[in-house]
Amino acid sequence: MTIFARLQRWEEQGAISAEQHAHLASLSRKEPFSLFLELNLLLYAGVLAFVAGLGWTVTTWSRQIGDVLVVSFLTVILGACFWYCFSRAPVWSYEEISAPTSLLDYVLYLGSLVWCIELAYLENRFHLLSGQWDLYLLATAGFFFLLAYRFDNRFVLSLALSSLAGWFGLTISKWPLHQDTAYRQFSLLYSLLVGVGGAILRRRGLKPHFFGTYLNIAANVLFWALLSGVFERHSSGLWFLGLIVACGATLAWGLVRRQFAFVAYAVVYGYVGVSSLLLRSFYDTTAVLSYFVVTGVAMLAVLVLIARRFGRSE
Amino acid sequence: MRIYSAASEETLRARKQLKEWAGEALLTQEQYQRLEQETVSDLRTTNIFLRLVLFFFTLIIVGAAVGLFFVVFLSHPSEATDGVFFLIFSVICYAAAEFAVSHFCLYRYGIEEALAVCSVGLLCLGMELALFNSRTYSSRSYGTEALVPIAGALLSLWIWRRFGLWYAFPAAMIFTVFLPRYWTSSYAIQHVLVTVFFAIGLICVAAIRLRHCFDYLDDTYSLAEAFLWLGIYLAINLKLASLNLPVRWWMVGTRSSFEFAKPFYWSTWVLIWCLPPLVLARGFRQKDRFVIAVGAIAAILTLVANKPYLGWQRHTWDPMFLGILLTAIALFFRRWLSRGAGGIRHGFTAARLSENEKHWINVGAAVTGLVSPQAITPAPQPSRPDPFGGGQTGGGGAGGHF
Repeated sequence: MTIFARLQRWEEQGAISAEQHAHLASLSRKEPFSLFLELNLLLYAGVLAFVAGLGWTVTTWSRQIGDVLVVSFLTVILGACFWYCFSRAPVWSYEEISAPTSLLDYVLYLGSLVWCIELAYLENRFHLLSGQWDLYLLATAGFFFLLAYRFDNRFVLSLALSSLAGWFGLTISKWPLHQDTAYRQFSLLYSLLVGVGGAILRRRGLKPHFFGTYLNIAANVLFWALLSGVFERHSSGLWFLGLIVACGATLAWGLVRRQFAFVAYAVVYGYVGVSSLLLRSFYDTTAVLSYFVVTGVAMLAVLVLIARRFGRSE
Repeated sequence: MRIYSAASEETLRARKQLKEWAGEALLTQEQYQRLEQETVSDLRTTNIFLRLVLFFFTLIIVGAAVGLFFVVFLSHPSEATDGVFFLIFSVICYAAAEFAVSHFCLYRYGIEEALAVCSVGLLCLGMELALFNSRTYSSRSYGTEALVPIAGALLSLWIWRRFGLWYAFPAAMIFTVFLPRYWTSSYAIQHVLVTVFFAIGLICVAAIRLRHCFDYLDDTYSLAEAFLWLGIYLAINLKLASLNLPVRWWMVGTRSSFEFAKPFYWSTWVLIWCLPPLVLARGFRQKDRFVIAVGAIAAILTLVANKPYLGWQRHTWDPMFLGILLTAIALFFRRWLSRGAGGIRHGFTAARLSENEKHWINVGAAVTGLVSPQAITPAPQPSRPDPFGGGQTGGGGAGGHF
């Protein structure tokens, strides 16, 4: 029975009204057909292509064009973008707000990317902060967080989170010793900062819909850091314990909240970590392959149970 | 031919649509709960994340089980023996996929999908080893080794049709791309043959699609048609290889223009300009999202490939003009559509009609926001000192040290 026959039957049964029937049938016939997604993708591709060309041109021709012209051009674009955004911004709210025009999101994204190019240009040409890129990244992250919360923009929020990660990374790269361990510890710190920060902001009701972005980034960084610790041949015990705790917590949270991405993270990262630890003492191919068959079947059985119990709906 | 009954798939589709409509407040909660009872399907489904993980673990099990069999039961077998056993495992995997669906009613559950995918891989590997191993290498001179991609393409097509797995269709197309290499050394003929194969496929799909407007198979055929249009475009465009795009592997070969006869070369140039409007027109006429997307991709690729085709120099500011053009087109259409009566013109609107669209944009925004700073960072110029210190843009995670 097609959806049209069902709608007809539901109307005859009185389950839906005649108006609902007409509206839902027209939607099923793609009348009207929405080009919302396509036009947004085109805008995004346009912004990205423009900024790529801008960065490429500035990098290649800066000496021929001259600093004044380059900086002026970038500043004009930057100023125009932010003028457009601030002049058309809706009243700020703790809750999710829709942009008055969907162009605003892309202009803000363009402005943020041009900001990155201009900052990089200024530092490379004039060494304003004596090559202290980490300070630029920290300032940029802070600026992008403000913009993301002011304009309720996920593009810029992701830029802010990656800039913050860049700041952590650049800071550690200046340290002379124990880089792997330092990276790992700072990755943990970063994921904790992002996760806890996101949770606090959500608890305070400040753009709670951003929480998913925070949590996904925090979970992935946390698992990568813990896994890299487990892969270390020496002193992997504490990291392994951390991985197990993180997997358990993520699995429980994913199941309770019906956030199955987190169930998937816990299962895959946990399996990789446990396998890497257990297989260290296996040198026989038969034993290794048997391990994968047995544990694979066990994991499959557990996952099927989880899927039947919790994850039935699409 | 299809393993699932039409009634079951229609019911699942209706259930999904009900959920969407309830999410957009087109149905009240009471209506949704009542109608949901009427769309209970016997098929067992799961969500995308568990589906991916189940797929992953099934692949691990099959790979390890096959490896274990060879290690335990076959010591130093010949390649032909290996091949025969791979073929047997291919049959077992396929039978297991059929069994999983018929007995456990799995539908896009990951397990049956991984088994079906493994059956294709093992079939190709088995045929290659059983028929074309080093000891029977002379048989290659007769072009019979084309049997491997033929078998891969046919089984992929069968799995696409039988199980409705969308990705089996592009897999069949990829196998098809390799076929002409076994029959001719002429690059031009290879391009033409691939185009002809895809064009035949397109005609067949378009003809079958007519019978499935608005039913549960509409999306399946829509996606297949979109892949075929894309395949035809990529086979025709001889210059994509010069653009350092990820699609380069798709090309029948990576050759310079002088390796093609001039009439053929310029015919393809004309075709890459003719094809995007044709695809877009077809997509808009059918109101087909996938075909419209392919038309747009083909149009952008044509703009990017035009200068290399004509032998003109590419400039650093070309992407800027492309960006301005794309933005202008998007803004023009948005404004033009919104000025129609009720924001609709010719059955199209720029307004968002589904929560799903916003959801996908949000997911895309989070992912691309993390990736794009790296993607747009220009590579250091080798001829001069790099004023950007290795491509860092000063923000957005562009630092290369983390």
